[in-house]
Amino acid sequence: MITMQKELFRQLFKRAFTNQFPAKHAPKSVNALLEAVGKGKAKLNPPVPVPENFRGKIAYDKNKCIGCQLCVKVCPANAVVFKPKEKKISYHTFRCTFCGECVNVCPVKCLTFTDEFLLADYKKD
Amino acid sequence: MSIKDLNRSLWVFHVNTGSCNGCDIEIVAALTPRYDAERFGVKLVGTPRHADVLLVTGPVTKDMKDKLKRVYDQTPDPKVVMSIGNCGNSGGCFYESYNIDGPIDKVVPVDVYVAGCPPRPEAIIDGVVKAWKKLEDLEAKK
Ligand code: SF4
Ligand code: SF4
Ligand code: SF4
Repeated sequence: MITMQKELFRQLFKRAFTNQFPAKHAPKSVNALLEAVGKGKAKLNPPVPVPENFRGKIAYDKNKCIGCQLCVKVCPANAVVFKPKEKKISYHTFRCTFCGECVNVCPVKCLTFTDEFLLADYKKD
Repeated sequence: MSIKDLNRSLWVFHVNTGSCNGCDIEIVAALTPRYDAERFGVKLVGTPRHADVLLVTGPVTKDMKDKLKRVYDQTPDPKVVMSIGNCGNSGGCFYESYNIDGPIDKVVPVDVYVAGCPPRPEAIIDGVVKAWKKLEDLEAKK
């Protein structure tokens, strides 16, 4: 009994475990809140930090790419498409399975993972 | 019908149209105390007739196409359809399969696409916020 009360008392002063992304409660109007954030009057709570070597959206350095098409060959989801005219590739975030094959295979390391993962949108690509 | 009818708490119904279960687990993770989407009034309900938002995962297998359509029709208006995960967005790793009729937007109209395989719970919450914003924008245009 005493153990339980001790535990309850301890929990009372503990910080909540919940990560309050993006705001503590639902705002009256999302648009008004986003506008306030844009003006710097309000702040959004950041998401839980991503772990090391997180596989987020892929960044593509066009200038470094040598057009070898290895990434096109290894991609299991057809997310990398070769553009023969320019000898470059285009990458589609909404097809990718974030497996990392292309990042590993690229000989000049022009494909890299970023930490970006808030990728919801109204249309794809 | 307007956003006011939704009364600021979106109830969601989850349809699995043949996903690998990765996204389904992330949807549930978004409701756990760590992320706690329920503080926004987002609640997982057991029938589409109670839902405002349809969370659709998976690439829509041939078997599920008809069921997805039926679930969509059973959801009362106004409704929002969210496609969660890249196999629902575009086929993802199942893109050339003989057994899919997807992606989701070929079967039912989709309002918000959430990319990821699977997306993190915050990405799903971000999608819900975007859906909310869309409803407000539609309301403002009226
Ligand atoms: S991470 Fe995998 S799925 Fe995504 S583009 Fe690279 S190879 Fe294709
Ligand atoms: S593997 Fe790297 S260098 Fe080769 S085409 Fe792809 S991005 Fe370009
Ligand atoms: S998007 Fe990826 S994780 Fe989500 S259901 Fe499809 S294959 Fe599974």
